[in-house]
Amino acid sequence: MKYIATIDDKTYEIEVNSECEITLDGKSFSIDFLPIASPSIISLLLDGQSFEAHVNPTDAGWEVFLLGQRYLVTVEDERQQRLREVSSVQAAHREAFQLKAPMPGLVVAVPIKEGEQVEQGANLVVLESMKMQNELKAPRDGEVIGVRVKPGDNVDQEQVLVILD
Amino acid sequence: MFDKVLIANRGEIAVRVIRACRELGMSTVAVYSEADRAALHVRYADEAYLLGPAPARESYLRGDLIIDLARKSGAGAIHPGYGFLAEREDFARSVQDAGLVFIGPKPTAIAAMGDKAVARATVTAAGVAVVPGTEGEGNLTDDELIAIAPTIGFPLLIKATAGGGGMGMREVNSSHEMLGLINAARREAEAAFGDGNVYLEKLLINARHIEFQILADDHGNVIHLGERECSLQRRHQKLLEESPSLLINEALRQQMGEVACTAARSVDYLNAGTIEFLVDKDHNFYFLEMNTRLQVEHPVTEMVTGVDIVREQIGIAQGKPLGVTQDDIRLNGWAIECRINAEDPYFNFMPSSGSLAQVCPPTGSGVRVDTGVYSGLQISPYYDSLISKLICWGDTRDEAILRMRRALEEYRIVGVKTNIPFHQRIMDSRHFITGEFDTRFVEERFSMNETEDGLEAMPHIAAIMATLVNHYQTQRVAQIIRQDDHGKSGWKWAGRMERLEK
Repeated sequence: MKYIATIDDKTYEIEVNSECEITLDGKSFSIDFLPIASPSIISLLLDGQSFEAHVNPTDAGWEVFLLGQRYLVTVEDERQQRLREVSSVQAAHREAFQLKAPMPGLVVAVPIKEGEQVEQGANLVVLESMKMQNELKAPRDGEVIGVRVKPGDNVDQEQVLVILD
Repeated sequence: MFDKVLIANRGEIAVRVIRACRELGMSTVAVYSEADRAALHVRYADEAYLLGPAPARESYLRGDLIIDLARKSGAGAIHPGYGFLAEREDFARSVQDAGLVFIGPKPTAIAAMGDKAVARATVTAAGVAVVPGTEGEGNLTDDELIAIAPTIGFPLLIKATAGGGGMGMREVNSSHEMLGLINAARREAEAAFGDGNVYLEKLLINARHIEFQILADDHGNVIHLGERECSLQRRHQKLLEESPSLLINEALRQQMGEVACTAARSVDYLNAGTIEFLVDKDHNFYFLEMNTRLQVEHPVTEMVTGVDIVREQIGIAQGKPLGVTQDDIRLNGWAIECRINAEDPYFNFMPSSGSLAQVCPPTGSGVRVDTGVYSGLQISPYYDSLISKLICWGDTRDEAILRMRRALEEYRIVGVKTNIPFHQRIMDSRHFITGEFDTRFVEERFSMNETEDGLEAMPHIAAIMATLVNHYQTQRVAQIIRQDDHGKSGWKWAGRMERLEK
């Protein structure tokens, strides 16, 4: 199976030939791939060189921590890449942004109102968790089209707090 | 003389105190909240009693219950650790009134140093320089604070008089933003300390945060154990500490140490404490505050002095003279501590909670890990985000840095986000290595995303790792779809995919 891995605009063509061999940009390597700890630590022997990394799935692709550095890697097989190339001609559509609680906590303040225009970096919600007051900010400009919490509410992780158009 | 100690705390510091007691042959009593039944301090103690529900005010802040449990269990003394009840004068007094020993300073000293405004006035009277601010003015109203601010000059800090750990603190750059920031600081201080009073202090630019460890016994001995460099902070939370400091030479160490001892004597101090100073680039130093408790970062001092600070605390509380004199104290080698927090350095250091699927701490020569967690434990959102402290010692600072790099790379924590990548980046930072940093460095001149020179990047390995994980997952899905097709995939293949899916 052939894959295209992309990191910051740079692509790597990787073919998994068998359980113990891959080809990277035309060059073959022997591999031994072993998950060490569920769910995310991977040990890789690549032509005898030993590497270990954390590999986590995220919305933006795979997050790989390797030797103190973090890489965001998107991986597609050939078919997926062709599909994407066809569909990318469609105009980019801006979706509503849902601010979700990154962790359970207590809502201390909601300094915005529905209908208000906010700028990127504006403080949307102050959430108290782990003894700290955390300011949750707008990732971009937008209009507040939904406020789902009020000060004093206890919220769960991933609960939607505020929606921007 | 007591031989059983109740530890009124949780997490790594409760474990730290239990260890000292064990080594002294003393029995230990742990207390815990409903969220902490499985915690390490409960498992390590000789006895353990439930306090109440998870929120601190219903458990670890219930001084009345804790004193009651100490009496019932026959503990003769209470060690408060740091945070929670450690710097509460009323708690220390209640412990004494109950006929128990409080392992810490006298209530009067906690009160004098605990109200930061009173503390500044007290040490000023003893001839110690303080950072200019509203000392000696008492508690001021919002209007009074706003009126007085321009006379101190901007930028300045709003600080909680009952404060500590950066809570209830805000930076102000102009008069018109003051009211909102005062309200935020009061709100946070009220929530954290039950006291919304604040004061103002001039913000020194390019300053270093240097603190001195003090030990004082009941026989008139007050000594210092040298300095700790604590300038690497974010939002006034310390992230990394070291001892000694590159900034301090032997002459300055003696001078500051003596001033620290004078400040401690000015409140008739007993037990372990810390005098915090701000030091400017010309080596002028100003008293900032005194922490009347054991500090999170005490291990770096232990590593370079060889003094077990918790054991000294217990000895002092038993009325013994200090085990060491000022002349015995030599700083040997270099120690660095990284605070490993459950927070995401790539997402504004947002705290992270969850179940620890795996914890595999580094070991080996010169490495110390103080922690209260283990694989399988839940990191709850109720308490602070400190998971562990990684302390590395070396003959020289360079050796300590190399060892810390090695240890950070070995450290495996799966299940919550941690700031280990942040520390790895700091250890590779030219500014850190050459000692060119101050209290603003992390917030103003440091980025998780910029690559520093000399760092070996291996994107192709990352690409292979991600591709293989992706590949095995796709294969697994495909295999579920055609379940009858066993093919030649075999046990090894299936086992690997099972582990991936866990």
